[in-house]
Amino acid sequence: MLDTSALRKNLKIIIDGDPWIVVDCQFVKPGKGQAFTRTRLKNLVTGSTMDRTYKSGEKIGEQARIDECNMVFLYEQGGAYTFMDNNTYEQVELNADQVGEALNFMTENMNVEVDFYNGMPIAITLPNFVELEIVDTEPAVRGDTVSGATKPAKLSTGYSVNVPLFITSGEAIVVDTRTGEYVERVKK
Amino acid sequence: MRPAAPVRLTDDSRVLALIEVRDRVLTAIRAFFRHNGYREVTTPVMVRCPGLDRHVEAVPAGNGLFLATSPELHMKRLMCRGAERIFQITPAFRAEEQGAHHTCEFLMLEWYHAGIGYREMMQETGDLLEHVTSSCRLLPAGLEFPLPRMSLDQLYEQAVGWHPSERWNEDRYFRDWAVTVEPYLQTLPAVIVYDFPSALAALSQVSSVNKRICERFELFINGLEICNAYTELTDPEEHRVRFEQAARSRTRLGRPAYAPDEHFLQAVDAGLRACAGNALGVDRLIMALTGASHIQDVSLFPEDWQHPS
Repeated sequence: MLDTSALRKNLKIIIDGDPWIVVDCQFVKPGKGQAFTRTRLKNLVTGSTMDRTYKSGEKIGEQARIDECNMVFLYEQGGAYTFMDNNTYEQVELNADQVGEALNFMTENMNVEVDFYNGMPIAITLPNFVELEIVDTEPAVRGDTVSGATKPAKLSTGYSVNVPLFITSGEAIVVDTRTGEYVERVKK
Repeated sequence: MRPAAPVRLTDDSRVLALIEVRDRVLTAIRAFFRHNGYREVTTPVMVRCPGLDRHVEAVPAGNGLFLATSPELHMKRLMCRGAERIFQITPAFRAEEQGAHHTCEFLMLEWYHAGIGYREMMQETGDLLEHVTSSCRLLPAGLEFPLPRMSLDQLYEQAVGWHPSERWNEDRYFRDWAVTVEPYLQTLPAVIVYDFPSALAALSQVSSVNKRICERFELFINGLEICNAYTELTDPEEHRVRFEQAARSRTRLGRPAYAPDEHFLQAVDAGLRACAGNALGVDRLIMALTGASHIQDVSLFPEDWQHPS
């Protein structure tokens, strides 16, 4: 049985027999009070979400036994995302909801991990760090480096991240897929 | 799709900008206290008694010592010796606290002012904030002076429809806090919440007009708890009672009970002058001033705490 100390984003867990993934979790504790963790959970089969607040130390569920398989993202068609096992050439499809936030950082031919529960593909996990191209960002401007050291930049996936002012369009950057944050510029 | 996350990067430009901001804030804090007749002190970081809070866990430092969870007891010993106005900026350590607003080691500003109560301390806290925001030229949106105030009962009335001081229920209080009250506070730019239930008095004075409440307040900026202040308890007998209650309560929770700080209790026996004290989280203040949403966003070393596996 896992307790709240195991809670983190993307943890997969069985609660009352159903597989859930933690999509958001926040530690809440008044300076002189009890600690809680507020979570938002997504059902890995139905896609429905629920909010649950756990007291620190509370039991939350069983570790989900998820089979993980390394696959390659091939293509998207009509909202279906096709992945292939490079060893067996077996292909599986997931819908946009199952792919989830990974959509923000996933490009064709990327190696990903597809999670299977009871033989069904239910979710994917991206590598922690991926390289993505910047397709649009304002040119660097001189300004207040204290409060405005970053600017938004649109990735080739359409997702926007904050980047340092020196990054320009057409450059590739490394993004941390767990936090959705800029990590560094890809050295040419 | 969620909004773009803030950059929590370790680029040199980011670190240099943060050095600048942190220096401005620390300089402004020190200037405020010097101008108001305070002496800056330092107290031990390794202590025998880390305090008496039921819900604060100390980090063991070996040889039966702990890293200080706050400098409260030592600073009050200085007040017992006759100090009138003292402040310090020091690291404080709390185990098991990690999140967007929490980190095991953080910077605490704590100060004590003889001869005033928590009402005057509210004013002084507003004055400090006004000085820091104006001299750093960092004013969070919606922040106005004087700081708005509401009692804790009013806050719970508005957020969840009951008065904790009248029907005290600790589990309900903290669960409501986590689920509803804290998110409600996030909708308010800044507010001083005062008159906590006596069960949460810690080392504050219980009100002489209403025994159910204590003279304690906290400041929240956009739901972020910035400081916690009291009219300080001075009665020696009551101090021993509170330490014993806290020890019993920790034992019930299955937590190690800390031995009472006898040096502190002896000093209080000899006489702690009427005073008010306040403890303010400097990292959180800087978060509020810069609009950061994660405490590591204002750290010079966020990489030390990112993605603990």
